[in-house]
Amino acid sequence: MSTDTETRGTLGRLRASPFLADLLTNRLAVVGLTIILGMAAVAIYARVTYDLGALAGSQLGTEIADRAPPGWLGPAPANQQLFGTDAAARDIYKRSLYGAWLALKFGTITVGTSTTVGVGLGIIAAYYGDVTDNVIMRTMDVLLAFPPLLLALALVAIFPRDLGLWRAVVALVLVYTPRFARVVRGAALKVLEDEYVDATVALGATDPRVLVRHILPNTLAPITVQSTLNFGLAIIDLAALSFLGFGAQAGTPSWGLMLSRGVENGLLTGEWWLSFFPGLFLAITVLGFNLLGDGMRDALDPRMRDAID
Amino acid sequence: MNWTQFLFRLAEPVVPPRFVIKRLLLLIPVLFGVASVVFAILHLAPGDPAVIIAGQRASAEQLEQIRVELGLRRPLWEQYLTFLWDAARFDFGQSYSISRGNSVRSVISDRLPITLELAIYGQAAGILLGLPLGIISAVKQDSLTDHVTRIGALTGISVPIFWSGPLLILLFSTYLDVFPTSGRIASTLFLPDTWTLFGRELPLTGMITVDTILLGNTEAFLSAAHHLFLPAVVIGVYSTALISRMMRSSMLEVIRQDYIRTARAKGQGAKITLMKHGFRNALIPVVTVIGIQFGTLLGGAVLTETVFGINGMGLTIVTAIGVSDYPVVQGTVLTFALLFTLVNLFVDVTYSYLDPRIQQ
Amino acid sequence: MAQSGDPPRLRQYVAARARLVGSGLVVGLVLGGLGTAGWTLYTGDVRSSEATVFALGALVFGFGLLGWSGSILAGRGIEAMQEHMGTRSNWTERDSRRAMARLCGGGGGIMVGTSVVAALL
Repeated sequence: MSTDTETRGTLGRLRASPFLADLLTNRLAVVGLTIILGMAAVAIYARVTYDLGALAGSQLGTEIADRAPPGWLGPAPANQQLFGTDAAARDIYKRSLYGAWLALKFGTITVGTSTTVGVGLGIIAAYYGDVTDNVIMRTMDVLLAFPPLLLALALVAIFPRDLGLWRAVVALVLVYTPRFARVVRGAALKVLEDEYVDATVALGATDPRVLVRHILPNTLAPITVQSTLNFGLAIIDLAALSFLGFGAQAGTPSWGLMLSRGVENGLLTGEWWLSFFPGLFLAITVLGFNLLGDGMRDALDPRMRDAID
Repeated sequence: MNWTQFLFRLAEPVVPPRFVIKRLLLLIPVLFGVASVVFAILHLAPGDPAVIIAGQRASAEQLEQIRVELGLRRPLWEQYLTFLWDAARFDFGQSYSISRGNSVRSVISDRLPITLELAIYGQAAGILLGLPLGIISAVKQDSLTDHVTRIGALTGISVPIFWSGPLLILLFSTYLDVFPTSGRIASTLFLPDTWTLFGRELPLTGMITVDTILLGNTEAFLSAAHHLFLPAVVIGVYSTALISRMMRSSMLEVIRQDYIRTARAKGQGAKITLMKHGFRNALIPVVTVIGIQFGTLLGGAVLTETVFGINGMGLTIVTAIGVSDYPVVQGTVLTFALLFTLVNLFVDVTYSYLDPRIQQ
Repeated sequence: MAQSGDPPRLRQYVAARARLVGSGLVVGLVLGGLGTAGWTLYTGDVRSSEATVFALGALVFGFGLLGWSGSILAGRGIEAMQEHMGTRSNWTERDSRRAMARLCGGGGGIMVGTSVVAALL
């Protein structure tokens, strides 16, 4: 399956590689992609339609009943909500939809930042080698050795509380960056082994030019796979930190926080809708990213595959 | 031949004691390393310990007095060295708030076995179910079994513990009432602090399913198992999914390698080839991966304890960070790090047994 | 391992390691000293800047120590596993250990540097 890159340029290389073809024949990956696109549509819809302030504020004291079951269950009272209401009489349906926006937004920020920083570090480490490589990669190795959620917890303890979800984002960026650095460094080293980089350097190309024009495009595929797999992880970890009380601030319609309130308020009384719907959205979204990521990894050139964990 | 001789016989040819001792000695720098990081976290973290202890309304003199008592007015290098010395003796003083007045050491010795028990059941499920599933999936690549296993494992890692846990509680505890919602044993049962073996009183382990067996108390054991069932299922499914995925990919890697093909060409049956060459070689990365994965499992234990209200290390660290009970945070972080290192040390030794080239 | 009955070799052994840690230490001393001075100029509080810089030094030191022992603990295993899996990588235990020794020296230097500067200020 190895690709002999006869063609030049990112597009040509993409077209020539069996990566896209394999990806499309992999039905699970297509299912994953559909889920992600659907969730993105939901997120944008919620962002445009609903007002965050209204979703966050308590509705107690209005005519809406608190902890009302989903409207399609049992006898219908005057006002019904599709997913029921929570302990503060807020509409779980609207909040779950808005949760998609928050999850994708903060997931993108987390993964985007760690990808950018990791790619930078990895390529620099691979290209310059020697002491630079050692200092960067060994530091990354130590960070990688810590259990992810526990490292994030310890980091969260350092940051001031009023940062809210940003506290979780920064902690997770520090946790994920080493993975990208490692993948990119591995991929970049393989590109550097190819002779044409030597040839371009011999022809007088300067450092940044070689890095951007030749190494970066060739490492795009493994970076994309790692980002996709990490996106699922980021969403689940952000929710976990919110669930544990170190993420979103009270009232925010984030899935993790809604689940934590659901456990607090509805577990023993059997009000399952408090935790069922936000968790369902969360699990489906994460599954979407994992399906796509897995499919992409299978479609990836085997030489690049072993760099990804 | 007595037992010790037998054990040495058993261990001698595979893993030389020097190899193990060298690694055990490395635990000392690991401990100091973690202690330094914990010291840093403590001093970088927002919040004044004196305010946390005395409360917001304490007077300036009171606060100053507490700071002097805690040693916060001494030079930093002195605080640092004192802290390292305390960490070496595993003495972190007393808890500020979550277990006020109790030493951190006693808090940890109470709660560590609870988490260990959960983690052991999770890890056991992962190894007993995850390994075979991963192997079958790899050997029968692209068959229906493979697809089902892969989708199952993918779902297993996608469904968060803090969703599957509450749903199980809702279904089996709240609605069907077949399992308890939280706790470790029926509240009517009381366990003694010690158990007797050949007339000698010995301390209990703190792992409730083990203790009830040691005490020979069937009723208590059943109650403990009953309580532990749902949390163990939640963490077990998670760990099975993680391990089967890793086992599959590393087994595929091995199958692709040349020597298996060579062995087949020499006419060995497929099954024998697999057992003789594939399994042992696939186990090498898997053993390493199990060690690394143990960290993820500890993260899973933190979430499981929070969901099921099990008062182990996970719930302790979460509560302690929440209320800035720093001595407890220090102690628990250090314990987690040591635990993680010990498991990886064990993995390393197993690993060198599987691949003797490493011992050198 | 060093042989104690062999002074020249012992000296060599120690010197090589001292140079490694020492280079980090010097960088750390400068960083710690300048950091504390700069931070104090910015915040005006010697005590809190010393605490922050010292804690950062302890973080770097602890991190290095963890990495150092970690690379010895898992180093051979990682090397052998990469060889086994046929992954091309030039990760070696030696490089990792040396990088971490430098980091340890740096962290130690920061702690000493900030203490000295804070005492002077």
